[in-house]
Amino acid sequence: MSTVLEHGNDSRVDGIRNRLAPRAAGLALAGGVVLLLSGLLSWSYDDRILGDISIRFYPAGIQVYVMVLGAVAIALAVLLFRRPGWLDPGRGLKAIGLGSLVFVAGALLAITVQAGGLVNVNEGAWVALVGALLVLAGGGLAAEVDLDVRTWPRLKSSYEILIIVLALAMLLFVTAYTLDVENSATFGTLLVTILTVTVGLLMAGLGEYIGFIGQNNRRPLVLSAFLVAFLFPFTQGGSNANMSIATQILIFAATALGLNIVVGLAGLLDLGYIAFLGTGAYVGAMLSESTFATIGWKPPFFVVMLCGMAVAAVFGLIIGSPTLRVSGDYLAIVTLGFGEIFRLAMFNLDGNNGPDLTNGPNGIPGIPDLNFFGFDFGETHTVAGIPLGRFSNYYFLLLLLVALVILVFSRLNDSRIGRGWVAIREDERAAEAMGVNVFGLKLLAFAVGASLAGLAGTIKAHQDTSVTPDQYIFLESAFLLAAVVLGGMGTVAGVLVGATILKLLPEKLREVNDYRLFSFGLLLVLMMRFRPEGLVPSKRRQLEFHEDDEHLVELAQTEHLEESK
Amino acid sequence: MTVTESPQSSAHHIGDKVVLEANDVTMRFGGLTAVDSVSMTVHEGEIVGLIGPNGAGKTTFFNCLTGLYIPTEGKVTLNGATLPPKPLKVVRAGMARTFQNIRLFNNMTALENVMVGRYCRTSSMALTSILRGPKFRREEAETRERAQELLDYVGLGSATEILARNLPYGDQRRLEIARAIATDPQILLLDEPTAGMNPRETEETMHLIFKIRESGLAVVVIEHDMRFIFNLCDRVLCLVQGEVLIEGSPGEVQSDPRVIEAYIGGDAEDDEEEENA
Amino acid sequence: MDAFAQQLVNGLTLGSLYALIAVGYTVVYGIIQLINFAHGEIFMIGAFGALSTWIVLFKGQTALWMLPVMIVGAIAASVVTAVIMERAAYRPLRGAPRLAPLITAIGISVFLQEGVRLLYGKVPGFPDAKQKVPFPVIDGITGQSWNPGNIVIQRAAAFTILALVVCAIGLWIFVNRTKTGRAMQAVSQDPDTARLMGINVNRIIVVAFIIGATLAAIAGVAQGLQVTNINFKMGFLAGLKAFTAAVLGGIGNVWGAVLGGLTLGIVESMAVQFVPGTFGGSPWKDVWAFAILILVLVFRPQGLLGAKVVDRA
Repeated sequence: MSTVLEHGNDSRVDGIRNRLAPRAAGLALAGGVVLLLSGLLSWSYDDRILGDISIRFYPAGIQVYVMVLGAVAIALAVLLFRRPGWLDPGRGLKAIGLGSLVFVAGALLAITVQAGGLVNVNEGAWVALVGALLVLAGGGLAAEVDLDVRTWPRLKSSYEILIIVLALAMLLFVTAYTLDVENSATFGTLLVTILTVTVGLLMAGLGEYIGFIGQNNRRPLVLSAFLVAFLFPFTQGGSNANMSIATQILIFAATALGLNIVVGLAGLLDLGYIAFLGTGAYVGAMLSESTFATIGWKPPFFVVMLCGMAVAAVFGLIIGSPTLRVSGDYLAIVTLGFGEIFRLAMFNLDGNNGPDLTNGPNGIPGIPDLNFFGFDFGETHTVAGIPLGRFSNYYFLLLLLVALVILVFSRLNDSRIGRGWVAIREDERAAEAMGVNVFGLKLLAFAVGASLAGLAGTIKAHQDTSVTPDQYIFLESAFLLAAVVLGGMGTVAGVLVGATILKLLPEKLREVNDYRLFSFGLLLVLMMRFRPEGLVPSKRRQLEFHEDDEHLVELAQTEHLEESK
Repeated sequence: MTVTESPQSSAHHIGDKVVLEANDVTMRFGGLTAVDSVSMTVHEGEIVGLIGPNGAGKTTFFNCLTGLYIPTEGKVTLNGATLPPKPLKVVRAGMARTFQNIRLFNNMTALENVMVGRYCRTSSMALTSILRGPKFRREEAETRERAQELLDYVGLGSATEILARNLPYGDQRRLEIARAIATDPQILLLDEPTAGMNPRETEETMHLIFKIRESGLAVVVIEHDMRFIFNLCDRVLCLVQGEVLIEGSPGEVQSDPRVIEAYIGGDAEDDEEEENA
Repeated sequence: MDAFAQQLVNGLTLGSLYALIAVGYTVVYGIIQLINFAHGEIFMIGAFGALSTWIVLFKGQTALWMLPVMIVGAIAASVVTAVIMERAAYRPLRGAPRLAPLITAIGISVFLQEGVRLLYGKVPGFPDAKQKVPFPVIDGITGQSWNPGNIVIQRAAAFTILALVVCAIGLWIFVNRTKTGRAMQAVSQDPDTARLMGINVNRIIVVAFIIGATLAAIAGVAQGLQVTNINFKMGFLAGLKAFTAAVLGGIGNVWGAVLGGLTLGIVESMAVQFVPGTFGGSPWKDVWAFAILILVLVFRPQGLLGAKVVDRA
């Protein structure tokens, strides 16, 4: 009886919603236009803050950003009028409205603080506030759409590739632009804008569509992504500041991808993973031309790389060997113990305590730049009139490294071995009873992951020019794990996103740099609570974390069918 | 050792070759003797049934055969060679099993599940997989093809891309059988293959098992459904409290008063020990 | 011989500290099979709780009677943190894959460490906690050491050992003589049946966290008195070693934790004294501790008193 009543109520609410829906689009459209126009108005009397936002009809800084938000809102509102079945512009508008609200609130706060009082706020900010509220109201009132992924429009392959290339070019532009912003407050508002637009488009279902296109055009997607990454240094005009951050991101990403083989594919938690990067770095340093190197042998770098990989792989096998007897939490602690032993050993082996291998806490400084057949990584080279500095040189090398790691990762994932790993994650004993060599595959995961990190380490030693034990503390392992968890266990794109976020934000938001670890601790807790599968989840992992989510199962099912067609 | 000729004369010819031989297998957990010197011989192309009330030690016996447990005493030989108590080596030697409480890889598709079964009969390792040479491609294609073949064989040919967890119960049991056959066994151990099935599905499963036997495999089945067992098997062993109560043709076992007594009068110990295996 | 006796005393002191912390790992594990890796931070929070109490109430004083009040302050800080942690972070994850609570624990651990480091000094009147912070001096506890024979026994060390004895007796009474204690035993044996018998399992879990936090807080005070300073990082290594102790004694077994703690403490002290050559001495003592950790986890995961069978799959 009661269910009937509730149902009646529901349909009445739905009725009201349906009647309001066309008006919702109008509201959102109006809000978008208001937002767009507010960018042309003056936001503050004070012309010294946030760029210069006091002049009318000459948008700068945050005024431009608010206009971008307005434009996206207008586009979504127009889509809301047409109501395609494969997009939900209403949800997107809700997100845009909310984000704009945060944006305006942040701007108001910044003006109040920096210029001294709310009186300094001009009409533009208030108009924008109204616009944000209108967009939010429009999005909220819009009828919800049950996304039907089967109605995705199929374009000609060349058009789909064009969309991918355009999206990536856009990404490159936004990245280059974002990195140029020096002012922290402006960077913050830009970040809110980017986040709002991204989340808005994702909520509207566009992300899934792009993913779907990407699925259909894997090769062009990968190639153009690398092209974009390759072009990045050319946008920097020889400046080293951003390239230094970029190289750090790449090393971090390569290591995190290696860790993702162990954690994401084989399902083994390794809390001492940074030791493998350290192993590679120490091997690289000890075999380098540095006057502090403790080993007399100076082989060419190619051999050093192989040595770094081999030594790290051996350590990987040693650290992985307890998997024969322990798993789960205990294994995590065992790996943590090994990681700490590595650091302490590097700290101690200074000649007074045990043999002199590492110069103890002082580490091995003075490692020279790499030199490949006369190509000196330390010097600036000019290509097509654009100077490429020291960090750009390392950037290209590291890009190759990341490409290699991605290749290893994705090919192993899609093979007999990858299937064995999934089987082990799903049900270890059943896997063994079906003839999967459980112990061997676990060891393999450790060895492959470790050798990739070791390889990264040998390059890192030269790029940093010194190696010290305090770079390889437990927190760094936790940080790597955070990149994997944040991005998405078992996916490449996820880890790249995670690594970029974790390394880039603290560098750019200098004021909060001190709060880096604090916020990432909180982030880990929140991610596990609300989105354990990460930002870019692998479908299977998503299922593992949400065993009882029927809707998700159905969705995954549909997509499986789509892929098989 | 007890070898009983199978008087159940189905049209099928049972080979003389002994595939599996278990000699005085005993399994003790602390003071509890779950399996007490059980011997069993299985010939090529033979279907042997294992019955007994709950807690009789049937699944424990299976676990001893497949290397999940290391028997306290006794020996298991496959084709005359002693089996080491390691699940991995047992599978490679040619014995595969299904589980009483279905243990599929839930978040893998039906096809992927069967492909995992091919793992021990393929050999591409890390470097081959990364380089994707011709050998790798051939092996992947063969694995895929064989897996699809097996899905067709058990009647799941259209369920290829469905996640194992989404399959109906009966299909999950059949998928488990397909996954087990994928390991190219000579003998198949089925632990309650019709539990939870309706009569029609049970009937289909029976035909499937006959078909598997026709292809030359030996089959050992644990089941509580007596009608199913007596219609299916060439020979039946009845276990009670870890010991073989009687062994013989379905007709002999069916009419033995001790069997009826074991089921009706036997103490209803739960078989939690087995479930936890 | 003197060296041996001295190291025995040092080992018992160290071991008492480990044992107090280890109980926290073991009671929680006994009930919900969760390894609360953030427990070391609860110990650290306890030390800072005691320091804060002293700063707020007794700044500049050294009287012995303040100590009980400081301990109460420490317990309050630890218990509140532990309860919030259980309620907000762990409880929503029951039934999630094992990876989830573990990663959450790492997050909590870093969050609490950094929180203390960054925010403690921002409270008016509190010292900056980015470096070591001096712990208050208490009359009678931080005074002249006793020297029977040639052995040195610090008063604070005696306090630590005494604290363990008192806590162990209290815990024994609680577990065996109170209704809640018996309910705890019931839940650890069979949570489902316990629930059917009308026991509020969630409440028992909170109680387990509270017990662990209480003992860890007392350990935090003891540590502060012994080394006369505290820092935001002190929980990491102490927590790991206490975890080793808990496993060594058989995780889930309260008396095992005490035994494991004492054993680990004595072994560590003896190793510093008696491992010869360049790999001996204090630079390598943590390496030996981690080596013991690994060996125990790999070869004796059921612990010395391995009554409970542990399947850590």
